[in-house]
Amino acid sequence: MLWIQECANEGGITITQLLEVTNLSVSYHTYAGEVQSVRGISFDVKEGETLAIVGESGCGKSVTARSIMGLIKPPIGEIKLSSEIRYRGKNILTFTSKEWAYYRGGESSIIFQDALTALNPTMTIGDQITENIFAHEKISKKAAVERATGLLEQVGIPDASKKLKSYPHQLSGGMRQRVMIAIAFACNPKLLIADEPTTALDVTIQAQILDMIRSLQVKKNTSVMLITHDLGIVANIASRVIIMYSGRIVERGSSDDIFYHPKHPYTIALLRAIPKLTDKSKEKLYSIEGRPPDLLDPPKGCPFAARCPYCMNVCVEANPESFDFGLGHTASCWLHHSQAPKVEWSI
Amino acid sequence: MLIYTFRRLAEMILTLFIIATATFFLLAAVPGDPISDRVEKLPTQIRHNMYAKYGLNKPLLQRYVITMKGLAVGNFGESIIYPGQTVQSILHDKLPASARLGIQQMVLGITIGLGLGIIAAMKKNTWIDYSIITAAILLISIPHLIFGLLLQKMFAGNLGWFPVIGWPKGKDLWTGGWEYTILPTLTGCFAYIASYTRLLKTSMLDVVNQDYILTAESKGISKARVVLKHVLRNSMIPIITNLPMSIAMCITGSFFIERIFSIPGIGMYYVTSVNGRDLPLIMGQTVIISAIYVTVIFITDVLYTIVDPRIQIQGGRK
Ligand SMILES: Nc1ncnc2c1ncn2[C@@H]1O[C@H](COP(=O)(O)OP(=O)(O)OP(=O)(O)O)[C@@H](O)[C@H]1O
Ligand code: SF4
Ligand SMILES: [Mg+2]
Repeated sequence: MLWIQECANEGGITITQLLEVTNLSVSYHTYAGEVQSVRGISFDVKEGETLAIVGESGCGKSVTARSIMGLIKPPIGEIKLSSEIRYRGKNILTFTSKEWAYYRGGESSIIFQDALTALNPTMTIGDQITENIFAHEKISKKAAVERATGLLEQVGIPDASKKLKSYPHQLSGGMRQRVMIAIAFACNPKLLIADEPTTALDVTIQAQILDMIRSLQVKKNTSVMLITHDLGIVANIASRVIIMYSGRIVERGSSDDIFYHPKHPYTIALLRAIPKLTDKSKEKLYSIEGRPPDLLDPPKGCPFAARCPYCMNVCVEANPESFDFGLGHTASCWLHHSQAPKVEWSI
Repeated sequence: MLIYTFRRLAEMILTLFIIATATFFLLAAVPGDPISDRVEKLPTQIRHNMYAKYGLNKPLLQRYVITMKGLAVGNFGESIIYPGQTVQSILHDKLPASARLGIQQMVLGITIGLGLGIIAAMKKNTWIDYSIITAAILLISIPHLIFGLLLQKMFAGNLGWFPVIGWPKGKDLWTGGWEYTILPTLTGCFAYIASYTRLLKTSMLDVVNQDYILTAESKGISKARVVLKHVLRNSMIPIITNLPMSIAMCITGSFFIERIFSIPGIGMYYVTSVNGRDLPLIMGQTVIISAIYVTVIFITDVLYTIVDPRIQIQGGRK
């Protein structure tokens, strides 16, 4: 595609921003009303980096991921007109179907949470991998099968050439997720979205899968958007972290910022919820009380107000602005306003 | 596969045996007999001869054994209401017309139905979808009889495009004389169009919401490929499940169509044989129709395993 080369060569400057999301708002129109799943978020993904998006269930992580892959379907799903998602400078929301075909699977790919439901039950895994290759390259059947075999070997599936003829239900959960990874990496995408890739798996397999994604990412210089509700798995993997709450980004920063200098009460609550190795197993894990607000009718003030131990009058009245702590570390919380009382917290 | 086929074959024969036995004793349990109705005024001696001819003077169990032995070798005996004709000759003469009509109806009806189902699903919530589904509901609620008469009057009577009645014979029995078969086929096939359209649409909309469709779309393949390779195959299970029902519908439904268009099929014999309590004819037809039906169920089960690899040949879902 021409525009991609054009952008890349623009004035000899290498562009490091692979993806720029600006003011993304997504709603679902249900019988109960309009669910405002994502409410005006902006972030970017740099080339080769791992960006983690963390937040509890229902905060809009998957909807964000689907928006970037063009999987929001009207008329039920709606991406608001003011939204922009720029891939290498071009707004994907205005893509033609040809551009979509080039971008999806070739430039970007996605891994879903549950590989059992994300793989077609009536198609061999070999066909599911080569399908992606055929969609983007003129390649012989034989070469595609060889490439698929190689991919399966790379993701650690033994007996790869035989496994190509298996159906998803014949593999274990961990193996299925490896197949998903093989599909996702089949065309060496620049951007990989991993939407809770390990949530459905055993703890021991989780680490293997994350390592696998990481090593492939390094080998192929892929940018990874890692979506999870478990801040604990993010620490060693992500360079930057975005904390989402109720369809908004409440804090963002480098991994160090988030883990050692958190600025938002919700981030702090998430950090407290990570099980520590030093904890006795009998000790009750800290959990955040209450529920996130209803996205059918989100509150006008801070969405975390109902659960926040530091909630002030202003919090209920107005949505907090974003406060900047330098080097890309920001948090949306009134506590950082100059007139707010100073509070101390420990994790 | 071979073992499976043999096992299923044995099961099918057992099923037929049970059906035949049940039919036999049910018929025997009905008071009166086929001869007395029609020969009341005949001298006693002739009456006795007739009972003897059909073996009706023998004890029940002995008759049962004779009947079952006959069925086993394909000898169904002589018809009572059509004297001089054996049941097998009636079947031989009349079954082909019914079979051709049934096959044509189902092939045409299911093909069009599936096609419209795909269109309705892909054009969901547009006027195209609404008109297809409305038409399907209208068609399914009009009885065969009325539909057939309407078609006959319009296209054969008023317009004269097709013969009003009749059916191809002789060398045209299976592959010729299409002009005779068009109206009867149309009459019957609308019911299939209607039910398969709705069935496939519902099934496809269910599949479209599955995660693996998102995966397929995220690969950058064409929309047509998503539908053909991912949606359609996974939508076929309810279609296959419905096949045996359609066959049953076809067998019972053809009676009216055969009447309207004077088709020399088996439908009329089925009704007259029951009314006239023609025991051999009823037994023969029941066994043949049951045999067709259990064969279709067998084919259905094999189709399941072809469409969905999760369904094992042993018949159990994994
Ligand atoms: N297809 C849909 N129809 C209606 N509402 C939807 C749909 N998909 C998502 N939503 C709503 O959008 C909100 C955000 O959902 P999303 O799936 O993005 O959450 P998530 O952060 O990925 O949570 P999880 O950790 O459970 O995956 C939820 O309130 C959900 O109910
Ligand atoms: S803005 Fe107020 S309610 Fe919201 S997180 Fe900060 S202190 Fe808590
Ligand atoms: Mg999710």
